[in-house]
Amino acid sequence: MKRYARELSVLGALVLILAVLAVAAPSFFQLDPLRSHFTREVPTLLVACGAALVIICRQIDISVGSQFGVCGVVTGLLAGAHVPLPLCALASIAAGAAMGAINGALVAGLRLPSIVVTLATMVIWREGLRLAQQGQFINLPADAVWFGLPLATGQTVELVAALGILAALTWASTRLTAGRYIYAVGSDAEAARLAGISPTRVTFGVFVLMGALAGLAALANAVQSPQVDPKSGTGLELKAIAAAVVGGVAVTGGRGRLWGVLCGLLLLVTINPALTYLHVAAYWEKAIQGAIILLAVVADGWRPRSA
Amino acid sequence: MTPLLRLRDITKSFGAVRALRGVSFELQPGEVHALLGENGAGKSTLIKVITGAHAPDGGTLEVGAETLSRLTPREAHRLGIACIYQQPALFPDLTVAENIALRLETPRATRLVHPRAQIEKAQQLLARIGADLAPEREVRSLSMPEQQLVEIACALGSGARIVIMDEPTASLTQKEQHLLFAVVRDLRAQGIGVIYISHRLEEIFALADRVTVLRDGESVGTNPIDDINESSLIAMMVGREVAQIYPPPESAPGEVALLLQNLGCAASGILDVSLEVRAGEIVGLAGLVGAGRTELARILFGLTPADTGEIRLAGEPVRITSPREAIAHGIAYVPEDRRRHGVILEMPIAQNMTMAVHSRVFPGGWLRSGTETALAKEYIASLGIKTAGPEAPGGSLSGGNQQKVSVARWLATRPRMLILDEPTQGVDVGAKSELHRIIRRLAADGLAVLMISSDLPEVLGMSDRIVVMRGGTIAATLPGGSEASTVMAAALGQRAA
Amino acid sequence: MKTGWKSLPLRHETLLLLVLVAEWLIFYFTGTTVKRGHTFGFGTFDSQFDILRHSAEIGLLALVMTPVVLTGGIDLSVGSTLGLGAIVFGLLWQSVGLPPWLAAIGAIGLGGLAGGLNATLITRLRLPPLIVTLGTFSLYRGLAEAITQGSITYTGFPASVLALGQGRLLALPTQVWVLVLVAVGAWLLVHRTTLGRSFRAIGLAPEGARYAGLPVERRVALAYILAGLIAGLAGVIYTARLGQARADAGTGYELAAITAVVLGGTSIFGGTGSIHGTLLGVAAIAVLNNGLIHTGIPREWAGILTGALLLIALTASAAAKALAKRRGM
Repeated sequence: MKRYARELSVLGALVLILAVLAVAAPSFFQLDPLRSHFTREVPTLLVACGAALVIICRQIDISVGSQFGVCGVVTGLLAGAHVPLPLCALASIAAGAAMGAINGALVAGLRLPSIVVTLATMVIWREGLRLAQQGQFINLPADAVWFGLPLATGQTVELVAALGILAALTWASTRLTAGRYIYAVGSDAEAARLAGISPTRVTFGVFVLMGALAGLAALANAVQSPQVDPKSGTGLELKAIAAAVVGGVAVTGGRGRLWGVLCGLLLLVTINPALTYLHVAAYWEKAIQGAIILLAVVADGWRPRSA
Repeated sequence: MTPLLRLRDITKSFGAVRALRGVSFELQPGEVHALLGENGAGKSTLIKVITGAHAPDGGTLEVGAETLSRLTPREAHRLGIACIYQQPALFPDLTVAENIALRLETPRATRLVHPRAQIEKAQQLLARIGADLAPEREVRSLSMPEQQLVEIACALGSGARIVIMDEPTASLTQKEQHLLFAVVRDLRAQGIGVIYISHRLEEIFALADRVTVLRDGESVGTNPIDDINESSLIAMMVGREVAQIYPPPESAPGEVALLLQNLGCAASGILDVSLEVRAGEIVGLAGLVGAGRTELARILFGLTPADTGEIRLAGEPVRITSPREAIAHGIAYVPEDRRRHGVILEMPIAQNMTMAVHSRVFPGGWLRSGTETALAKEYIASLGIKTAGPEAPGGSLSGGNQQKVSVARWLATRPRMLILDEPTQGVDVGAKSELHRIIRRLAADGLAVLMISSDLPEVLGMSDRIVVMRGGTIAATLPGGSEASTVMAAALGQRAA
Repeated sequence: MKTGWKSLPLRHETLLLLVLVAEWLIFYFTGTTVKRGHTFGFGTFDSQFDILRHSAEIGLLALVMTPVVLTGGIDLSVGSTLGLGAIVFGLLWQSVGLPPWLAAIGAIGLGGLAGGLNATLITRLRLPPLIVTLGTFSLYRGLAEAITQGSITYTGFPASVLALGQGRLLALPTQVWVLVLVAVGAWLLVHRTTLGRSFRAIGLAPEGARYAGLPVERRVALAYILAGLIAGLAGVIYTARLGQARADAGTGYELAAITAVVLGGTSIFGGTGSIHGTLLGVAAIAVLNNGLIHTGIPREWAGILTGALLLIALTASAAAKALAKRRGM
C-alpha cells in the first residue's frame, strides 16, 4: 500500500471534495450533468495519459495542444467528406503519430532538449493550422456527431471507451516489456543502455505514442459537437501535464501510474463544478488548480531521496 | 582442475604509462582469490581486461576452454564473467524484481511481463545468496549494501562462473560485511570463482583461499592464504626503491595553524579525529579508500558540518558551515574530483583562477579584465602553467596544468591552510614533480599544508609528518622519514607485529 | 566558450545578426511602397516604432529570462506574472486610489514576491524549475483572474500612464527607453559583474561553483526574483500600451521570451549565452512579425518561420558542440 501512497492521497483528496459536495450541495450528483461534464474531459484524459508516459520517460511535450488541433481538423474534414468514422479515426491517429515522430526524431535522434523542440513544433503546427483553416469551423454530418447515436448513449460510449483505453494503456505500460522500458529509461538512461535497452528508440516511441493519443483524443473531441473548432486544444498541454503531475508522475522520470493520472484529472476538473455548487465564485478555479499543482510538486519534493 | 580463468603475460599501456607489464593470473573454480595492491598498482586495469572493457596489448586470456587475445564486454558476459562495482547500475525507481528481470532478460520489447514470475525468480536468486530482501521494494529505498546484493543476484542469475568484487565492503557496517562474507562463501560453495579486491587484510585472511599481490603493473607473487602472513603481504605491496627525489623541507615549522580536537561527524563516518598542522609544514594524510580522508576535508571546508569536537585556527575556535566561511577563515581546498569540482573546462583560465576571490579582486562586483589578466599571468608564470594564454579555456590544458590552475585559484584566496586532495592523481611524471616543488615552496612561504594522497612514495617523500587514517579515525601519527611498510601497516590495520 | 575577436565571424550572435539584417532588408524592399512622395509600409518610422513598442514587453521578459536560463533553470511563469502585475497596477490605482507611480511600484513589488515564491521553491526545497514555474504559471494567472473576478477590466488610466505606453520620449516610443535601460542593466549584470559570472559558473558546474565558495542558492534565487520584478514592470507597460489592464495580459509571452533567448544563442542547459544574443533574438522575431504584415504574407508564417528558425538554431548549436568535443576543445 505504501507504494501507492502518492496516488491514494490524490484519490483521498478527490473523495474529500466529493464528500463535501455530498453534504453541502447534493444536487451536484445528478447523472446527466455529471456525465456530460466527464465526457467533455475524455479527450483531456487521453492526452494526459500520453503526457504522463512522456514525463515518465524524462521528457516533456508541450506541442500536444497543437497536435490535437491539427488532428481535430483532419477528422473534421474527412468526416465532412462522409468518410466513415473508423477511417477518420485512423487518419487522425496517423496524423498525430506523424507529428509525434517528428518530435521524437529531433529529441531522440538529434539529442535536442524536448522543452525547446516541442515549443518550436507547437508554434509551427498551431500557426500552420491557422494558416490553413483561417479559423473556419468545420461542420460535421449528423451521423458523425456522437457517432450518430443519441446524446446520452454517445456520451456513455465515449466514457466506456476512454476507460477501456486507459486500462489498455495501463496494461501495456506495466505488462509489456516495452512499457517497462519507458520507466527504465526515465529512471536511469545509462543503466538502461547497459542493460541492452536503446534509450533512443524508447524515447522516439514514446513521442509517437503521445502523438497517436493526441489524434485519438481529437477524434473523441470532434464528435462531441456538430462543429469542429480549429482553435480547440489551446492550453490542453498544460492541463494534461498538470493532471499527470498532480496524479503522481514525477518530472524526474521513472515513476507514476496512469490510474493516478485519472485521479489527478478528476481532482482538477471537479473543482469548477464544486465551486459552482458551493457558491464559490468560478473565477477562483485557475488559482486553485495552480495551488494544487504546486502542492503536488512540493509533496513530491518531500519524498525521501536516497543515492 | 581446469582453471576458470587464466591470464598469461598480460601487458597494457596507456600512452607512456605502462599499467600492466606482463601479469599472469589464474582463478580456480570454487575459490576466492584475493587481489591486493595499492592504488595505481594495476588492479583496476587488470579487472577491465577481464571484463572486456580494455583490450590488452599483449598476452592471452583463457576462459574455460577458450583462448582469446581480448574480450568484448558482450563476450565476457557470455562467458560468464560478472563484475560487482561499488556504484550499482540499477534503476532507482523500479523494484528489485523488475531490475533483475530487465538485467537478465534479452531485450525484446514485445515480451509480456509476468510480475509474479519475476518476483519468484528474484526471490530464488536472492535466496541463493542468502539475502533477506523483499523483491517488491524500490531500489531507491535500498541501502548501498542491499543494492550490491541485488547486483550479485543479477550476476548469479546471468549464469556467471567468474564474479569479480571490487572493494565490496568499502561502505558496509560490520553486520553487513558478515552478510556479504556469507554470500561470498555461498558463491564459492557453488563452484563459482570469486576475484576479491580489497584493502582490508582481515577480510582477505577471513575469506580468501589465495592472494595475489600486484605492484607497479606486475604480479609480485601468488600464495595460498595459509602460507603467508600480513607482514609479508605488506612487504610485497610496498617493496621498492623510492627512486624519486622529493624537495626537502626548507625550514622548521612555525605556529600551529590548524588544530582538530575530537572531531566527529556521524553522517560522514568520522570519529574522534585529533590532529594538528603547523604553518610551514606538510602533513601527509595517508590511508586507503574509505578511510575518511576526503570526508574530513569536506568537514574542514564547510561542506558537511561536524557534530562533535572542535576546530581551532591559529588558536581560535571556529565553526565552519559553508565553503565561503572556510575561505574567509583562510582555508582552501583543492578537491579530488577534478572533473566536477575543479577547473570549469568551458571557462577561460583567468576566470577559473578568480572564481573564489570575486569580492576581493572585483570590489563592488564589477569585473575588471585588467586585474584578472594580471593575476592570471602572475600565476601562469609562478606556477609554470603551459598554456596559450589567460583566455585559453580550461579544457585546453593537460591534466597537470589544469591542476596548477586549480591550485592558483586557491592560492588567490591567500589561505593560511591549504588542503590538497590527491593533488597529483592522473598527472604525468613531469608535472608531478613540478607540483611537488610548488607545494614545498608554498609550505616554505608559511602555508600549513594538509596533503591527502594515496600515492605512498609521494606521502613518504613530501610529508614532514604522516597522519594515517583508517575507518574514519586516526590510526597512527608517524614522523616524516617513516618506512613505507609502517605506513601501510597502519593504513591496513595490521595488528601490532 | 568562444572568446576573443578571432571567433567573431563564427559566433552564434554574429550569424543571428546577419539573419536579422537580411530579414530587415528583405522586408524593407518587399514591404515598402512609395506613393505620391509618401512611404508606406515597413520602411516608415511608424512601422519601426511599432516594432519597438511591441517588442518592449517581450523584450523585458526575454532579458530577464536570460540569467535564469544561464543558471540552468527556466521560468515559465513570467507571462502570468506580467498579467498579475498589470492587474495589481490597475487595482492599486483604481480601487485603492494610489497615484500611478506608487501603483506601479506596487505592481513591480508584487512581481518580486512572485519571483520570490519561485525562488524559495526552487532553491530551498530543491524542486525542478520547470515544474515549479509551471505551477506558478497557473497560480499567478489564476490569481489575476480571481482578483478581476473573471471580468473586470481596469480602464480610464490618466494621460501620464498612457504616455508610457503610447507616447514618445525624445522621438522614440517611451517604453523603448525603459527597455534600453533594462537592457543596459541586464547586459552589465550578465557580462560585467561577478553576479553574471557566477550565473554562468552555476550553469556549467553547480557543484563546482559551490566548492569555489559561490553562494549558489542565493544567486539562483536572485535570478528568479529579478525575473519577477521585471515581469511586474512589463505588466505596467503592457497596461499603458493598451490603455487597459486585463487578466489575460501577457498570455503566451513566456514562450515568446524563451524562444528569443534560445534563438539568441543561450543554451537551455545553462552556462553559455549573452544578453546581446537575446536582444538579437527579440529583434529577429519582432521584425519577422511586423514585416510580414506589410508584405501581405499571411501572418501565420511568422510563427512557422520562428519555430523553424528555433529548430535550426538548436540543431546548429548542438552540431557545433559535437564538433568542438571531437576536436578536443
